[in-house]
This record gives sequence, C-alpha cells and structure tokens, in this order.
Amino acid sequence: MCDRNHQMKAKVFVGLVWLLCSWVLVAAPTRRAASEESSTANEAARHFDEVVAPLIARRCLDCHNPADLKGGLDLTAAEKAFAGGDSGTAIEPRAADKSLLWARIDADEMPPKHPLPPAERKVLRDWIDNGAVWGSGEIDRFRYSTETRAGYDWWSLQPLARPAVPAMPEDQWSRNAIDRFVYGELRRRDLQPSREADRRTLIRRLSFDLVGLPPEPEEVAAFVADERPDAYERVVERLLASPQYGVRWARHWLDVVRFGESNGFEFDEFRQNAWPYRDWVVRALNDDLPYDEFARLQIAGDVVRPGQLDAAIATGFLAAGAYDTAGQGQQSAAMRAVVRQDEMEDLVGTVSQTFLALTVNCARCHDHKFDPIRQKEYYGLVAALSGVRQGNRELTGLEPTAARAEQGATSRSRHAELSGELAILEQPVREQILSQRSQPQADLRPLAAWDFARGVEGQPAGWELALHGSARITADGLALDGETAYATCGTLLKELRAKTLEAWVRLANVEQRGGAVLGVQSLDGTEFDAMVFGEREPRRWLAGSENFVRTRSFSGPDETETNDTAIHVCITYADDGTITAYRDGRPYGQAYRASGIATFAAGQTQVVFGLRHSPAGPGKLLAGTIERARLYDRALTAEEVAASSGRHVTSAMIRAKLAPDQRARFDALHEELARLAALIAVLQPSQVYAIKPRAPEPTRLLERGDPAKPKDVISPCGIGSLSALPADFGLAPDGAEGERRQRLAAWITDARNPLFARVIVNRLWHYHFGTGLVDTPNDFGFNGGRPSNRALLDWLAAELVASGYRLKAIHRLIVTSAAYRQGSRYAAAAAQVDADNRLLWRKTPQRLEAEAVRDCMLQVAGVLDLAMDGPGFQEMKISIAPGTNTYLYAPDDPTRAIFKRRTLYRVWARSGRSALLDVFDCPDPSTTSPRRAVTTTPLQALALLNNPFVLHVADKLAERVAREAGSEPTNQVARAYQLAYGRLPRDDERDAASRIVSQRGLGVLTRALLNSNEFLYVD
Amino acid sequence: MWTNKQLPGGMAREATDGDRRAFLSWVKNGLSSAALASLMLGDGSLRAAPVSGEAADPPPHFLPKARRAIHICLCGAMSQVDTFDYKPALVRLHGKSLVTDERPDVFFGQVGLLRAPDWPFRQHGQNGLWVSDLFPHVAQVVDELTIIHSMFAETSNHTPATFQENTGFRLNGFPVLGSWLSYGLGCETDNLPAFIVIPDAREFPAGGSINWSNGFLPARHQGVVMRARGNPIDDLLAPASIGPEAERATRDLLASMNARHLAERGPADPLTARVQAYEMAARMQLAVPGVADLAAETAQTQALYGLQRKETADFGRACLMARRLLERGVRFVQLFSGGTFGSPRRNWDGHEDMAQNHGQEALRIDQPVAALLKDLRRRGMLDDTLVLFTTEFGRTPFTQSAADVVGKGRDHNQNGFTVWMAGAGLRHGIAFGATDDVGYRAVDKPVHWHDFHATVLRLLGIDHERLTYYHNGIRRRLTNVHGQVIDALLA
Repeated sequence: MCDRNHQMKAKVFVGLVWLLCSWVLVAAPTRRAASEESSTANEAARHFDEVVAPLIARRCLDCHNPADLKGGLDLTAAEKAFAGGDSGTAIEPRAADKSLLWARIDADEMPPKHPLPPAERKVLRDWIDNGAVWGSGEIDRFRYSTETRAGYDWWSLQPLARPAVPAMPEDQWSRNAIDRFVYGELRRRDLQPSREADRRTLIRRLSFDLVGLPPEPEEVAAFVADERPDAYERVVERLLASPQYGVRWARHWLDVVRFGESNGFEFDEFRQNAWPYRDWVVRALNDDLPYDEFARLQIAGDVVRPGQLDAAIATGFLAAGAYDTAGQGQQSAAMRAVVRQDEMEDLVGTVSQTFLALTVNCARCHDHKFDPIRQKEYYGLVAALSGVRQGNRELTGLEPTAARAEQGATSRSRHAELSGELAILEQPVREQILSQRSQPQADLRPLAAWDFARGVEGQPAGWELALHGSARITADGLALDGETAYATCGTLLKELRAKTLEAWVRLANVEQRGGAVLGVQSLDGTEFDAMVFGEREPRRWLAGSENFVRTRSFSGPDETETNDTAIHVCITYADDGTITAYRDGRPYGQAYRASGIATFAAGQTQVVFGLRHSPAGPGKLLAGTIERARLYDRALTAEEVAASSGRHVTSAMIRAKLAPDQRARFDALHEELARLAALIAVLQPSQVYAIKPRAPEPTRLLERGDPAKPKDVISPCGIGSLSALPADFGLAPDGAEGERRQRLAAWITDARNPLFARVIVNRLWHYHFGTGLVDTPNDFGFNGGRPSNRALLDWLAAELVASGYRLKAIHRLIVTSAAYRQGSRYAAAAAQVDADNRLLWRKTPQRLEAEAVRDCMLQVAGVLDLAMDGPGFQEMKISIAPGTNTYLYAPDDPTRAIFKRRTLYRVWARSGRSALLDVFDCPDPSTTSPRRAVTTTPLQALALLNNPFVLHVADKLAERVAREAGSEPTNQVARAYQLAYGRLPRDDERDAASRIVSQRGLGVLTRALLNSNEFLYVD
Repeated sequence: MWTNKQLPGGMAREATDGDRRAFLSWVKNGLSSAALASLMLGDGSLRAAPVSGEAADPPPHFLPKARRAIHICLCGAMSQVDTFDYKPALVRLHGKSLVTDERPDVFFGQVGLLRAPDWPFRQHGQNGLWVSDLFPHVAQVVDELTIIHSMFAETSNHTPATFQENTGFRLNGFPVLGSWLSYGLGCETDNLPAFIVIPDAREFPAGGSINWSNGFLPARHQGVVMRARGNPIDDLLAPASIGPEAERATRDLLASMNARHLAERGPADPLTARVQAYEMAARMQLAVPGVADLAAETAQTQALYGLQRKETADFGRACLMARRLLERGVRFVQLFSGGTFGSPRRNWDGHEDMAQNHGQEALRIDQPVAALLKDLRRRGMLDDTLVLFTTEFGRTPFTQSAADVVGKGRDHNQNGFTVWMAGAGLRHGIAFGATDDVGYRAVDKPVHWHDFHATVLRLLGIDHERLTYYHNGIRRRLTNVHGQVIDALLA
C-alpha cells in the first residue's frame, strides 16, 4: 500500500552534490578515453558501464523501467532500449540526430522539468553517435541516488566506520566524545551550548528519563547536598540499576512494535496471555541483554534457543499486531489469501522498520518508489516470515533462566510444603464428609437421571430413549462407536434455560475430536448446548454451542483417562450466562460468562447422547461408554457438583467443619498458596500469545501485490542494497520454517548490517532528547529525515557494537554528556539560527508522556504500586456482545485500588483506549509509533480537571500532605510543592497558596498542582 | 484543530438561555472572573492565532462547495436491491439461479436462488428515481440525493470493509475521514471538537473506538464520542461535590502558577498553548450542554425527527444533535446506524431474514434521515453542508441458503452496492453508475472507495493528492495512491 504517484519536491542539496559527482564522473573517463588510441568494442562497453549507464540510471530510469514504463520505454536493458517505446524507436546508433531519445533531450523535454546540463548531453549524444554500444548488461537503476529517490549510495546504507572524535582547542565544555561532536556543529553555526542545569533540574530530568518517575524529595535533597565529584554519576548508576528503568524503556519499545493485547478488527478478542512478552521486554532491558540477542530472540528465539522459556516468549514480538479472525476464517479462499497477505505486509513492515528503519512494506506491489528495495526482496522477507502464525503458544516443559528457575524452585517447594500441611489439616474432615456421604445423598432433584448399566430399569419414566446407528445398551452402559452411534431422548415438556449436564463416561481414546457426551438441542439441531470433547482444542472438554456463540476455552488440562476409568464430567449453565465445567467434581479450568443463555423451548427440545448436535455426521460423534447421566433444570453449585460426583470435597465444605483456630490456619495457608501459585504462574507462564509457526507454503511474488496474480516462487532473502552484507540466505524456496527466521535474524543482526546499530542508537537518542539525530526513527530512507549529526550517529553506533551491544553503555554516555546536562532556557538568538534545537544549544523541555503523567500522579500521591510482572490490570470491563464473538471494552471506574500499578501494566486492548491517556497522545496500539505526537487540547484540560482518576489522586495527594505536614497550611503548601515539583515554594507562592488552602481546603491546591505546566513539563 | 473564527456572540446567547440558567451559572462561577470576561465579552486577549488545520499543504486547494459534512454510516451492509437499486429482472427471476460464469465466492459460501426485493419499488420525485417502500420518508426527499449504484469493495469481510469505507485501507491503524478533515481543515469553532461521533444508541459498532481512530495522525484528531442521551461528553464537568467556589479557586490558582512558570522560562509555545487550552475548555463546558439540549428545539422540529416515537427517537436525537453541532461550526459529524454482529441482529447484517432485519433497522433511521435533509434544506444549510449515507458493502441478490432454495436472508456482496450523498456542490436527484440486471455486480462506471473519498474531499475544497501526512516512509493519503474525482456527480 505505497504511494506510487507521489512526487517529491526537488531536494536542492541532493541535486547539487549530484551535479558535482556527475561532472567528475563525466570528465575523468572522457579524458582517459581521449588519451587512448583505439576504441575497441571492449573499451566502448567499459565506457558505457562507467559513464553512460550511471547517467542513464540517474536521469532516466525513474520513469523508464520495467515497473514504470512511461511512454512504453524501458531503458534498463539493451534489447528493451533499442526496441523503443510507444513513439517508436528511441535510439538510432551512430545517428543522434535521428534518435528520438536525443531529440527529446535536446528539446529540454527530458528529463521533465530538469533539462540535462551540457556535459551530460554531450555524453549521451557522443554515445549514440559512436554506435550506442551497450555495456555488460542491465543497468541497475538503484545504483545511484537521484533527486527523487535513494540508491545504494544512500547515506544510511553505507558501511559503519568509527569516525574520529573531533577536537577543538578552545573546547572547555565537553565532558565526553558526544560533546565534541555536538560542540563542533554548534561552533560551525556560531552557537554556544547552554550552561549546565541546576542539580534539582538534573535529578528530575534523569529520573523521569531513566525510570519515568519523579525523584522523592529526599532524593533531591541528598543529591543537591552531595559534594562528591561523582555525585551525578552515582545517580545515573542508581537509576540505570533500578528495575523501574526496564518498566520505563519497555514502553518505548512496545510503542515501536505496536504491542496490543487484543486482536483488533471485528471481534477484538482479548489476549489473556500477551503479558509475558511485555515482561520479557522489561527483564531484557533491566538485564541489559545485548541488543543483537534482544533482536535475535524476538525474531527467532524459539529456533536459536530451543527449549528456553524466555526465548519462546520473546517471539511475542511477531504476534504483537492485530489479527483478523473473521477474515482469516471466512469461506472464500481468495479473500482469505488477501487477508493473509495484508497480515504479512504489516509483519514485514514492522520487522523492517523496527530493526532497520527500512519501509520494505512499500515494495509489496512494485519496487520501492523511494528506496533501493525491490519487490522481489519484499517477497524474500515474506518468505522468511511466511511460517509465522499468531496464537497461544504452550510453554510447558521449557527451561526458565537460571535466576527465575531458582526462584521458581523455591516457590514450588514452599508450595508443596504448605500443600502438605493443608492436606494434613483437611484429611480428617474430608474423611468425615465422605463417610457421611456414603449414606444416601441429599436429592439434587434432576429433571431426569439415566443409569444405562442397569438397562431398562435405569431409564427415567416417560423419557423415551431412541438408539441410532450402532448404539447399544450393554452391562457397562450406553456403548458408542464414534462412527454411527448416538441416542436421543424425549421431548422436553418445559422450557429449559439454566441447567446442568452431568455424566459418567469412559472415553475410547483421547485422540477423538468433536463428539459430545450429553447435550440438549432444538429438534433440528440448529441450537444446542453440549459437553463436547476435543473439538476446538484437542483432548479438552468444552461447552459446545451453535456457531460457538456460547463457547470459549475453559483452558482446562488435557484429558488423559481412557477406557479403564469412568470419569465424571459436568457443565453448569447459570441464568447470567456463566458456564462452569467440572471434572471428577473439581472445577475444570476457568469458568466464563457467555454472552447469554440459550432458551430451549418446551416441546421443541430433546436430549442427545454421543452426538454434538443433529444432523449426525463425522466429527460429531463420541467413541466411548456412558455409564450414567443426569440433566437438571438449574445450575448446580460447586458443592453440589462435588457431592454428586461422589469423589470431591470442596474447600468450603471442609472450612465449614473446622474448629476456629484450624480455620485461621486454613485461611492463611490458602492465601499463601494462592500467592505462590500466582508467582509460579508468572515465573513460568504456561502459555504466551506469540507465534505458532506452520510449515510455510511456497511464497510467490504477487503482481501488484494481488494474491490472484502469483508469479515466480521466491526464496527467503534480505535486502541487497546493503553492499557489505550478502542478501542471500542460502535457502531453497522450501527451506525449513525455523531456519528462515534464524537466517533473517542473523542477517538483521550481522555486524556488517550498518542499519541495525544506527537505528537503535538513534532511538535511544530520540527518547533522551525528544528528537532523534534522525527525526524519523522508523525510516532512514529517502523520505525520512537526514541525520543532524551523522558523525555522532555513526560514532554512537560503532560504540554500541564495541560495547557488545549493551544499551546501558549508550544511555550512560548520553546522560553523562554535557550536551544532556545543559539548561533548558530559551535563547532568542540561538532560536533564530536553529529553532528546532537540532544542534543542541540547550536541552529542550519535554512534556511527560501519557504513562508518565499517570505514574507521576500516583507516585506523588504516595499510592503507586510498583509491582512488576504478571497479567495487567484491566481498567475496563471486558465482555462479549450478546450473541456475538465481539469483545467489548467498557471503561471501568478508574479509581479502583488495583489500578495503582504503573501504566505499563494496563491491559492494552485495541478498542479499550483510555480517555485520560489518549489526550496525552497515547498511541493507537494498532500501528507502530516510533515517535509520539505532543498535543495540547481543551479535551486534555477537561480530562485533567475532571477525570475521576485525577480527582481521586488529587484527594490522595491532599491526604498524604495532611499526614506528612500536619495541619498548618504553610507547611502543607511546602510539602505539596516538594512532592509535586521537587522544590519548596517561594515566599509569594507559599503565601498565595496558603491563603487558598485555608479558605477552600487542600484539595484545591493539589488539583491545581496536577494540572500545572510545571508538573507536566520536565526542564 | 481549534480556531477562533467563531465570535463569542453565540456563547452569550446560550448563556442567557433560561432553560439552562442554573447549570450555566454553575459553570460560570467556576471560571475566574478575568477568564469569563474574555469569554463572554470576546476581548480575544487570551486566544491563539487562528489555526485552520495543520496540513503541510493547507486546503483549500479548490473553492470549497461544502464547509462541513455529516456521515451516516450503516454497519452490517445494507442491501442495495431492497432499497435504492431497482432491478425488475430480479423480480422476474425470483426463484431462479444466478446465471454467471463462475460460482459467486461469498462470505459464508452458500449460493441460494435469486430473491425478489421484500419491498415494492416506486418512482419518486421530479426525476422519477426508484426507492423501495422500506424508505418511505427518504423517498420524499429523493430529489436531494445523488445516488451511486456502482460502488464496489475490496473485501466482503465487515470490519476491513468498514475500515476501508472510513480510512481507505483494509487494515487497523489508518486515520478515518473525520480525522483527515480535522487535520486538514481544522474547525470553524473553538467551542467544540472538529470531529464528533455519535454511535448507535444501542451499542458501539464492532471494533468500538477503532472506528474513529486518528491512526497515525496526532491524537487530537481522533473522533470525540458524544451521546445523544445523558452526559454528552466524558469529563466535561467536575462532579457536583466540587462546589463552584472550589472550582473557581482551583482555576485561579492554576492560572497564577502557570503564569509564573511561564514568566520564569521565557516564551514557549507549548506552555502558552496549555494556558489557552484551559480557556477553550471553559468555552466547551459552556457550549456542549447547550448543543445537547434538544428541548430547545420546537415541538414541530422534534416531531419532524421522530423524537416522540419509540422506534425513531434514538436516531432522531442523533440526527438532530448532529444538525445542532454542524450549525455551531463542527466540521464533521459521523452517525452510526448499527452495533456489533450477532444475534439477535442489531445492525444491517441480514443473513437470516431480510424482511425482519432491514425492516427493523430502516424503521429506526428512515424518518430521522429524511428529517435531517428537510431541516438542513429549510435552514439553508444544505447549500454548504455535505451529507453522506454509506454502508461497507451490499448484499447478494441470491439468498444465503442451499442451492435450490429461496432463503430469507442475503449474504455479503462486495461486487456492487449503493451509497448516496446529498447537499453542497452535487448534482441532485440523479443516479450514477449501475449494477448488472440483478444488482449483483457494478458494471457501469464502477466506483471504488478511493474515488468516493476523492470526490468528498473535492467537495470540501481538498485535492486528495495534496492532503498528506508523513508516516514511516510514506506521505500517506486518505486515497492511498489511487482515487479519481467523479466529476459527473458535481454540479
């Protein structure tokens, strides 16, 4: 989906550079040609390759190439060029005057609007007159940059060299190499850097920048008073070592990879298991995982580090984007192919922009219009990624990192220990309950109960059982072969809504798919609720329903019991739509609330055994033996199910029978066990929303990006324009899936790939200063920005490589530089020269990002919960629209206690945006956001004034101030200023605010503080 | 986005309206006296310089015919053959198979027999345009309409098709038309947002806020949701527990804090802009409740929009509110008819039973939509207001059923469908393009969304190739790299 008609305005400086180059190129060989005696055919060919071809490439090929045949003329290859175009033959060898090509040039018609300079005209004219000898083959139109596009000589594609650090004798300012580069550029423009900011400003700046939170007043005071020469560096080291560093910088990364926790599109399904990837990013940054490894794991962690938990989780990167469930599941194969290609475009675009700042996605339909990227290279990347499919990836059996393994082992052994203690506590009571249960149980009053093993006597009266196919009643029960057998029963004489399905069954095997033990259905089978085995998920039970409208995964464990043992399965359907499953009397997986409950009409409903729903057919029939079954017209409670199963006793039953002191211990054990279980789940999650690769189908180049027009089969490859690095992956078109991504990761992270290091150091610079050295962090191509200080960018990139790709080394360099430590004061004279401060004559003040605004409010109010890891907080009520598969995300009361964690841990559903965060330019997680906008609107003002969260926090801040400063208004004002601004109020500020506090209360002050510019802007 | 072209006279009128006196007095008391003076007397000292959008190549690129637009967006896919695209052959061929070279590739894979429309068609208006009895009120104003019969979509999957209807692209993450207009044209008032969305009163459309996303444009160009009932905009007012004195004290204190901060730092646009934003916010607090107060309309107008009838009240309120917003300078209002997909149906996705489904949905909007056109016309607003009435794709002329059955429902059809426009700069009372004999496929002058968007932008004075925003390597447009203005529609 690229911009093929787009015309860039001439870039004057490019043009100038280019004129100079072309003059040199033209002049030198011409002299040489004149000095040589004979002009052999070889010589003429060489002349063409060295002189004529570059000229044609620069001047003509943008419009005369196979992809863009203006006038039907293609000048890239001899046979095409001599064949001419729509107007006839273009080149008449030895007769320039008869050549249309020359005529159009001579008339200043070509190139349009940019007539050729005389020297270049002469080259072309002489070439034609001398026989128009063509050189060694096709002209590569990407070889040179032109006024309208980048070629292989584009700045960002050049190999990385480590520039010498400039030294200026008069430089008294510089602290490290960064400054020498900055100083040189400032002095060239007659600018001076600003004086170093004061210490309060510096520690606030560092703190927001590195951990995204303000410093505590005590930390400010300590730093201001610290006279050690390395006081500043100590703060830097403390902050870089803080786990909150990872929380802060992970957000930046998640912006780039457009991390969302729902599918987007029509259904926008919630992804319960996306969070482990987010936590992995935080951990990787905190551990200073080398950036090449960081990238490698995200592209191919499951392949390069097989068996490692973290490596599998890292591939969540490839699944962070949206997923069109409806589109990928539609009937039309042709339309499914389009959806899949759209998904691949998004994926290729994200991978190439994230790591290389190349917009390879623009080459889906044709060669890139602005950068030297070919359409077939786009499909080469598609081929590399074509096995990538999103999904919940099982993590069981994978090895966590040593530290987490140890933590996990400790937690598990403690869990086992406490479980043992709990068992000892429970055992006598359990025995007692079970012994009582052997007496006749309380009658749960089923609508009907079947005991098939007892033959006809076991049938409920009035419910006529009809056996179908090979179904038969044996001494073991109702025997079903999974081929033709099932049974139906009755017509229900009353309407059925809430209900319970219960059965004792022996499965013939656990590999079977899609049969049901017991269900109720409308007579034609178009509406049903059934206990289905292995349909959507192999080996698992689920509550089947028509079109899955009430069906969701219980995420229960895989079934393992077969023929030998009868198992008890039970599903309850409550009036509010809650569906709960049980196996052997214990809850099976997670209950959920469906969008509603089905109504089965009186006289229109029957009971079905062995069949999911009518009509019968393959994939719907159960193989096994049903011993007993019961149907209830209400949802049994967990206790009732447990009792009915005859095997399980619930905790609540036991607790009720414990002595008070035992009960206290029982409760404490349960609480601690729950905490440990949650911790274990976080340390070793069982699933992550990441990739579930499949064997790729052959990738074909698609004409104009259209899946209906497949062309050649393409092998996985990279981009050829990085001259020092071969693009070929050495893989056949049918190369193994894992190998494809492994090669792609290797190619991206190769030390010879100059973009890899340049792009990430530029991102770091961007977040530290507000603008990157290149101000388009996702695009280092022709349409992107040019580096404001290329030598500095290259030096930093070289430094990153030299440091072993340690990002913290670059952070350290940047924040300890004099450039970073400058004051932020505006200077009119400097602004006249460099209004955007690209040369860094000061530190540009930055507004807090949305997340930092919210985190900072919680922090100053003293209620921030720094808990890391694990599922995010759902600041919205998640539901499914009635009768649909569409998830709805309705805002929840934002002041709830669980919403006090840092904003990174907010669940980021694509349609579950936040009114407060949005007004601070929180990006749409549907698209990559390398650079956030900073806007100021009335809606922002309204949100800060009136949003319930802000008002709540303002109250909490007032409470904190009153608690810490006592009742004297002047003290309160002082404390409030300290907390919010990291400074004490000046006298006039204190007096004015104290007056208002005395009259109207502290809340007025705290609300104003949270709205103020000083709170939101960091100098 | 916020300009100060609108003089505050309108403000003063609203502030004196008796019905809302108590409320407004509350708001006013919450403002500092100085700020209030500037708002009410219009001394202008606190206002930013006029801003009209922020496009690099600012419109108008042409003389604008329309200054504002309203978009009625039907979710679920309205059937063309049951509404505006009259096909006598379809009546004749009822119960026959579609004659075609290849089997239609439809969403749910079932190709039943052809089905005649469930509503009879009649000719209406001076030009004798055909409208079915499903839209009796709209039929009365058919001379206002510019109907396009030859739309086609790239997909028959609802959400990507809806994205394309609104953004030009099938994927998540692109700005919608309203966001582009907010970015390109700004707003004629600084009292209200440039782009307002009024969702179906029953439910948000599938995908919720994704449907009015700013995509990669700055977040302020996102659609602002306004409700036709209850609290119109979130966070508009502080809770009543914060009394007027406290509100006023907060604002005064805030103003002095910001003034001091600014004085210490020297000129800084962002800081000044935030100060101004609070003044604008105050103006919004005054303006929004006034707009939302539909009781201010005459009984006749309320009846015109069907506010008194259960079936039409929801959409009638939305349409009336939309007119009031446009009247006060809002650039673009988007109304949604229909919520998510599923059963029972509450949008236009009539897979099972067209008569029931379209009957139910059309009843909700027919009278209000016609009322909107009549009302805009009688107020002279239709001369410079553009009305769009679109759906993401159409429905099949054959039913979604077994091959030998005439079912009751119709499947998705991307190959041909109908939308219409009305208002400024258009040739009225015409139908453009055509589908084949049975209304299945656009055959005469097919129109892609890119062409539709290019035409809409042209009417608003914008060259669709010049309204661009740089994002990750490309100067993005609403029309991607395509789009042809449909000159035949223009007056």
